[in-house]
Amino acid sequence: MSVELEIHDSQGLPTEEMTLNMGPQHPSTHGVLRFIVKADGEVMRRAIPDIGYLHRSIEKIAEKVGWHGFMPYTDRVDYVAAMACNQGWAMAAEQLAGIEVPRRGEYCRVIAAELSRICSHLLGVGAMGMDMGAITPFTHALRERDMIMDLLEELCGARLTFNYMRIGGVAWDLPHDFVEKVSHYLDHLEPVIEEFNQLLGYNRIYVKRFADVATVDADMAIAWGLVGPNLRGSGVDFDVRRDLPYSVYEDFDFDVPLGSGEMGSIGDCWDRYIVRMREMVESIRILRQALAGIPEGPVIAKVARNFKPPVGDVHVKIEAPRGEQSWYVSSDGSEYPHRVHIRTGSFTAMGIIDRLSRGLMIADLVAVIASMDIVAPEVDR
Amino acid sequence: MSAVTSWLQNVTASCSTVFEGLSITFSHFFRKPYTVEYPDRMETRVQDTLPFRYRGMLEVDLEICTGCLACERACPIECIVIDAIKDKATGQLMINRFDIDLAKCMYCGLCSEPCPTGSIHHTREFEGSDYSLESMMRRYIKFPVAAYKPKKTGEDDPEIIPVLERGMRFLDEFAQPAAKPASGTTSSSGTTSSPGTTSSPGTTDPGSGTG
Repeated sequence: MSVELEIHDSQGLPTEEMTLNMGPQHPSTHGVLRFIVKADGEVMRRAIPDIGYLHRSIEKIAEKVGWHGFMPYTDRVDYVAAMACNQGWAMAAEQLAGIEVPRRGEYCRVIAAELSRICSHLLGVGAMGMDMGAITPFTHALRERDMIMDLLEELCGARLTFNYMRIGGVAWDLPHDFVEKVSHYLDHLEPVIEEFNQLLGYNRIYVKRFADVATVDADMAIAWGLVGPNLRGSGVDFDVRRDLPYSVYEDFDFDVPLGSGEMGSIGDCWDRYIVRMREMVESIRILRQALAGIPEGPVIAKVARNFKPPVGDVHVKIEAPRGEQSWYVSSDGSEYPHRVHIRTGSFTAMGIIDRLSRGLMIADLVAVIASMDIVAPEVDR
Repeated sequence: MSAVTSWLQNVTASCSTVFEGLSITFSHFFRKPYTVEYPDRMETRVQDTLPFRYRGMLEVDLEICTGCLACERACPIECIVIDAIKDKATGQLMINRFDIDLAKCMYCGLCSEPCPTGSIHHTREFEGSDYSLESMMRRYIKFPVAAYKPKKTGEDDPEIIPVLERGMRFLDEFAQPAAKPASGTTSSSGTTSSPGTTSSPGTTDPGSGTG
């Protein structure tokens, strides 16, 4: 915590570094984040993240509410993309008990999860613009996000805390004209993404703010444990959906977009932005294939109300919008899980900020937080 | 020289991309507005435009409650409290207490799933602000009522048939809407899919269970 650095000004006189507090209530921190910034004038020496403001002991709650009852709580792990957390928990419990999910159920899950991913990325890139002072793109992104939330509301009855998946499948089948509605919406979304890039992504001012800022090279990204779009922005070709396929992702043909340093160097903030934009296009591709190939049949396997998986532990990885999310669940054979641990993408992204912030301008700290797409509740759980 | 050229290039690029962005903003003057002026300038109430699966405030039809306690057991936060005791004299299951603490409820929908008759279900009502925590407690029972007993031959009481049908519709629609497009098609607005239910769920007062 204490960095004792002897600082001298140009005449050789000793000065002191300035300690500033950013957050926890700050309009440009996403949620309740706090940074202790040690600055020498405009230049940061360090920005030390202080986490724990949104700790709700969700992992402990799992030990008290049982297997079925924990599902609504997983919505609160990452409320921007709750579907992924739903899926992680359901998959962990299914693997423990060896439950086979019906094919239609898996397709429903993929459709819901990819819609949720687009939803989350839209908020992420919109907020990136807003943090750089561009309010208009944020409203455009939220407009599109709202339409997806309308679709998801029709699917599962809630806009944010979906609670859609269950152990063994999904709670409800697709509404009767849902497939047409989603394909209709995807036709509308594709040009909007291009338009959004024109509005924000290729804007010279935005590029200048983001390019060559906080560059993370591939080795560093792996060493610091970055995951998801942040890792791929650094040019590391890894996506859980493709490399360790779960659910029915093997059936789909999609690319994994990587950062290539188009506007600056590989792994800068702009690369992390464009990876998210391109991932949305890939999600649209997956959704189209899923909607076309959805089989008939049941959506949920028979699971007892009094669900008791056998003794054992399981480790499940899924690709959440904020990167690889791993669920470690240990069962002692009772109706309550023995231990649950969730490892989320925002946590490691938060960790690297300390390292990245050294030598950056204070104004660029916001760019780093935004480009890492940190969601505060996901850090603390 | 090169510094001046690159400076000029930056300035031109900034201006042109800013105007590109502005042209998109300008084009929105001629597009359909998406803004909804909630709550007072809506053509229809928001509640009526919500999809059928919307998880709003809970409601209980006590006429068809079997007192099986499935909802109480399913609730992860114990916001439902039911007292059901078998009356020794008549041998009938009497429900003495059915409380739902709406301030605690997180609207997850786990309680309405195991209900055998669809007695407990979500309405599309969501505007639940109130002045005190006590008034968020919904007490459905004032005097003990007999629990509903499903008849093997099918329901014949004309007063209960519509309630039961409505309850079963909640169960069916939630389970397999693809198989049962109940009645009519969705409206063209694209946000609602509530076939044939515009009258029942949204408009009923949640506190009006039979006493």
